[in-house]
Amino acid sequence: MISASMKSMDPALEESARVMGASKLRTTLTVTLPLVLPGVLGATLFVFAEMLGSFAAALVLGIPGRIYVITTSIWSTVEAFPPNYGKAAAMGLSLFLIMVIMLTGYRYVVTRGSYATITGKAFRPRPMDMGRMAWVLYSLCLLYIVLAVVLPVASLLLTSFQTFATVILSQAKFTFANYEEAFALAPVRQALFNSIVLGIGVATVGAIVMALLVWIIYRSTMRGRGWVEYLAMFPSSVPRLVFGLGLLWAWINMPGGLYGTLWLLGIAYFTVLLPLGVRTIAGVVLQIDKSLEECARVCGASWGYQMRTVTLPLLKPGIIAAWMLLFAASVREVGASLLLMGPHSKVIGPSIVSTWANSGTQLTAAMALIQTFVVMLALIILFRVTRGTTRELS
Amino acid sequence: MIDGGKGAGGSGGNGNARIAVDKLVVSYAGNVVAVNGVSFTVGKAEHVTLLGPSGCGKTTTLRAIAGLEQPTGGSIHVDGRTMYSAAERVNIAAEGRGVSMVFQSYAVWPHMTVFDNVAYGLRVRKQNATQIKENVDRALGLVQMRHLADRAASKLSGGQQQRVALARAIAFSPTVVLFDEPLSNLDAKLRAEMRVELRELQRRLEITSVYVTHDQEEALAISDRVIVMNVGVIEQIGTPEEIYNRPRNRFVADFVGSANLIKGRVLGAPDGHGIMTFEAAGGIMLKAVAAGNVTGTQTEVAVRTAYMDIGAGNAGDNQLPGVVRRRMFHGDFVQYVVDCASGQMIVRRPPTNLIAEGTNVVLSFPAEFCVLLEA
Repeated sequence: MISASMKSMDPALEESARVMGASKLRTTLTVTLPLVLPGVLGATLFVFAEMLGSFAAALVLGIPGRIYVITTSIWSTVEAFPPNYGKAAAMGLSLFLIMVIMLTGYRYVVTRGSYATITGKAFRPRPMDMGRMAWVLYSLCLLYIVLAVVLPVASLLLTSFQTFATVILSQAKFTFANYEEAFALAPVRQALFNSIVLGIGVATVGAIVMALLVWIIYRSTMRGRGWVEYLAMFPSSVPRLVFGLGLLWAWINMPGGLYGTLWLLGIAYFTVLLPLGVRTIAGVVLQIDKSLEECARVCGASWGYQMRTVTLPLLKPGIIAAWMLLFAASVREVGASLLLMGPHSKVIGPSIVSTWANSGTQLTAAMALIQTFVVMLALIILFRVTRGTTRELS
Repeated sequence: MIDGGKGAGGSGGNGNARIAVDKLVVSYAGNVVAVNGVSFTVGKAEHVTLLGPSGCGKTTTLRAIAGLEQPTGGSIHVDGRTMYSAAERVNIAAEGRGVSMVFQSYAVWPHMTVFDNVAYGLRVRKQNATQIKENVDRALGLVQMRHLADRAASKLSGGQQQRVALARAIAFSPTVVLFDEPLSNLDAKLRAEMRVELRELQRRLEITSVYVTHDQEEALAISDRVIVMNVGVIEQIGTPEEIYNRPRNRFVADFVGSANLIKGRVLGAPDGHGIMTFEAAGGIMLKAVAAGNVTGTQTEVAVRTAYMDIGAGNAGDNQLPGVVRRRMFHGDFVQYVVDCASGQMIVRRPPTNLIAEGTNVVLSFPAEFCVLLEA
């Protein structure tokens, strides 16, 4: 979000400040920051709202220290015996309300505040030469990546090969037993299989449906397309756990027998991931010059022919990117799946959470790595298969 | 070629008209009126240009003819078919109109080859492979692009893309082609070349075309008739010579070419040759002509900067004494700023016989180029 507003800024705005005699620091403070402020502020609100609704990290890291956040307390209220759905719903709704307010604020800031930076004129964003400072800043970024990504994955890797979890390497005993156990457990295999099926299904249906939605929102002259956009973005303001709770409560009482099936999870994933997919594809749709489509119509093509021969081929990179994101997000999903999965529709995300709660850290680590590996493998295959088409267009 | 002068009035009833636009209104949400009652006709094989500053409604008018913009009033007929009519509630979609268009951004599809781009309209019309090959070859030949037929469209230069867009627009042999500022993204030299080629092609294929541009030089150079637009209405319709020599009002005089505007008042009615006396500010009497009726309310005449002669006291219908204030050398011409009793005049002369700043001179010009403007 912030990078988008940086990229859309004409470097001449900064350069003219430098020419007037302002230092780099002064230019940054008086020109760059005020111009990207709407973007930064928007991103802050968005991240804040996302954090309010986050669940998995809060569960794993918070519960041992008895630190509860609102999502984990909703979960424990539902998981307790007897489950107190009323209380959970009340907490969920208040969380929902706060997120709606934050995200309304985000939309307000982003739609109102993007001044001056977007001009019709062509320009090339230019990186600023930071001199020796570049190395310091680069090291800081690297340090963050090591702490936030490499360290956890490395420790997972280490743990998954140990008979008991320890970081003192002299005492560690290495084994493949955890992986053997994970693959031997029928429920784990089933959960992994279910997740992959759901991931492929949701990503495939989702990418196509979302591409059409985006086209309707940004390219058609259909009445009420503003509402379609609002509805498509709405799920981002509903905490996933709360959404799962609502869906559970709705389908337990409804006929049709969807509760406890993969279909219900599919519906939930599609809804929860709608904003992600729409945002990804919208970025590409907005880059396609409208006259490319208009020209097809003037040449005599009907809407369907134009979509098939011009719009969808041009959207291919966006649709593929959306497919990958949707697949990865589906397989990783925890928040909405937690309450919706039944005994016959287990998926991998919540299974890892319950394994962590019930058995050893080592087994959990092995399962988590299997999940990560599956997602990566699927994405690498897709990337290889489609590389030719995406490269040709970029 | 069509005698453009006769169609200068431009009403919808012309029987020979390929395109007839009548009282066209296009307004957007929020009551922004982009086009406000525009009427004109385009004859068979005629090349008409809509000229005006940005936001004057010229592109909107063109897009309405193409069917890409939904009008709110009036009617559009192409080849006698009703394409849009507010009264009859007819609005044919863009793909059903059979007109062709060249877009400002070229709109060459980057995911296809040059051949596929040009063949698009033919495939939509379900021609067989031989016909398609033949027609694409012919169209690419006309724009000298046959050797690049198998090239990916994303690997073309701007000028080549322009040619592909042109070939695509004429490949399916449309009777009407619309041009939306097709040359505005090319550099000056290439633009001048393409201008000549476009004119040749248009004459050779006898295509009826409507061309949109904000470049007055381009409009004058390539059109049979020019329609000057401003803020959603037509200011003047006429041949390039008429528009240049007899601007109807201040806007046309100012926007097309460069003109000196002299304030004053009309003394008496025009004589048998249509020439009247105009008293300019400073008490100088000028002989002037009018493009329209003389009502007595008109207070301005326009004289093209190129039509003023500068010297020590030449003969001529009109003479304005003055002092050269500033001289600017432009290469192809020299521009003088001359202080006269009736105000500052701009004069453009060939770069021979340079006159020094501060020299006393007399500006002279014939009555027929001293045009009374509408109030």
